[in-house]
Amino acid sequence: MGLPWHCYPKSDMRPVAVIGIGKTSFGAFADRDLRSLAVEAGNLCLASANVKPSQVEAFYLGNFAGPSFVGQNHLAPYVAGAMGITGVPATRFEAACASSGSAFYHAAMAVAAGIHDVVLISGVEKMTSQSTPRVAEILAGAGDSMGEVRAGATFPALFAMIARRHMHEYGTRREHLAAVAVKNHANGAKNPQAHMRKIISMEQALNGKPIADPLTVFDCSLVSDGAAAVLIAPLERAAEFTSKPVRILGISQVSDHVALDAKQDITTFAAVRTAGEKAYKMAGVTAADIDLAEIHDCFTIAEIVATEDLGFAKKGDGGPFAAEGHTSLTGSKPVNTSGGLKSKGHPVGATGVGQICDLVLQIRGEAGERQIAKHNIGLAQNLGGSGATAVVTILGGAQ
Amino acid sequence: MNQGVIYTETIVHSAPEQFVSEAPYQLVIVVFDDDGGRLTARVAGSERVVIGDRVEFDHDRDGIRFYRKSVPR
Repeated sequence: MGLPWHCYPKSDMRPVAVIGIGKTSFGAFADRDLRSLAVEAGNLCLASANVKPSQVEAFYLGNFAGPSFVGQNHLAPYVAGAMGITGVPATRFEAACASSGSAFYHAAMAVAAGIHDVVLISGVEKMTSQSTPRVAEILAGAGDSMGEVRAGATFPALFAMIARRHMHEYGTRREHLAAVAVKNHANGAKNPQAHMRKIISMEQALNGKPIADPLTVFDCSLVSDGAAAVLIAPLERAAEFTSKPVRILGISQVSDHVALDAKQDITTFAAVRTAGEKAYKMAGVTAADIDLAEIHDCFTIAEIVATEDLGFAKKGDGGPFAAEGHTSLTGSKPVNTSGGLKSKGHPVGATGVGQICDLVLQIRGEAGERQIAKHNIGLAQNLGGSGATAVVTILGGAQ
Repeated sequence: MNQGVIYTETIVHSAPEQFVSEAPYQLVIVVFDDDGGRLTARVAGSERVVIGDRVEFDHDRDGIRFYRKSVPR
């Protein structure tokens, strides 16, 4: 496989590399505020690449609902200033659960286009200071407030309707959904920064408290606090900052309708399919070349559908694909080696950049107990709402 | 928008704040006979529907449309 740089959308775009990562643990932290989480992740990231705040040429922040969760707006300069970063463009990106995936996409494009060299991208969400019904209400803001949400939809309900239709058309079973939860909890138990480091049994997963049929509490990702950050730079300068640059081989962001009932086929995420196709083309690889993936498992069914949309499994076969172990740590296509949103946690605005951090750890061979054997090319898929934003990123290591 | 078929459904146990007293309730997407349009709606009363069931409009409450299973003629 040759260098795929000529595949960037414009032939004169520059190859871009991730040169540093930093992440807080994900969890429920009563004594932490949004800014301190974002600053911790950002400072860890800068330190990992030996970059000073004064060297950061732009700051991109992914955050879904800081104004609703903690009553703070104008978040990008608020966080950047606390890190000592001023005098540069500092901008917040909001794309529901794909907020920091979107921030990462736009930052990568700016570096590829030659506008900036050293750029910091962070994602943060502080969710646990609100009651569960209030959290559900804030999250529902990512749906169509005049339609599905007014009728009584929650996000679990929307993904439950996706699951029901997938079961109806393809014979997907409850056991397939549960297999995803069991696998992601097994992986998360090996991740020291995961929110819920707890192994669960198939029996537990099948008998969880019902949330929206057929989804139980074990099919739903966690409400978490946390932040993640990555530094990127042109590949030609990467060696100034790290001995292990990780290349951005392909990246794409694609939109779709916000309302679930506006989509013709809800057993697929059209935006994920398109973003995947574009990212594969840009990287010059196919699904078969991907060694591991971080998939947006906000609900177990979402991981099943996405593995189909990205070409890991045939359409309709995502359930058996997971249940047969293909996506486990030792399977042919390890998915969510970090524990995924299910076990690692889902601080909404931090999730996209968090996925990039976890892929980078695996690609560099630094994932500890959960390190997989073949780890040169990784894919991250970040989803907003019930599929209205999708970001797919393909990263490559040195080999 | 008076008659259609159930495209998908779920029973919501964990409801948003304003609907907590109504839970569990059934949420559906209906595909309408007339123009093939779709709408997220509710099922009236305690009756339950499954994918493929024919339904008809029952009533409207604050902009939420409720449907019930059609009685075969």
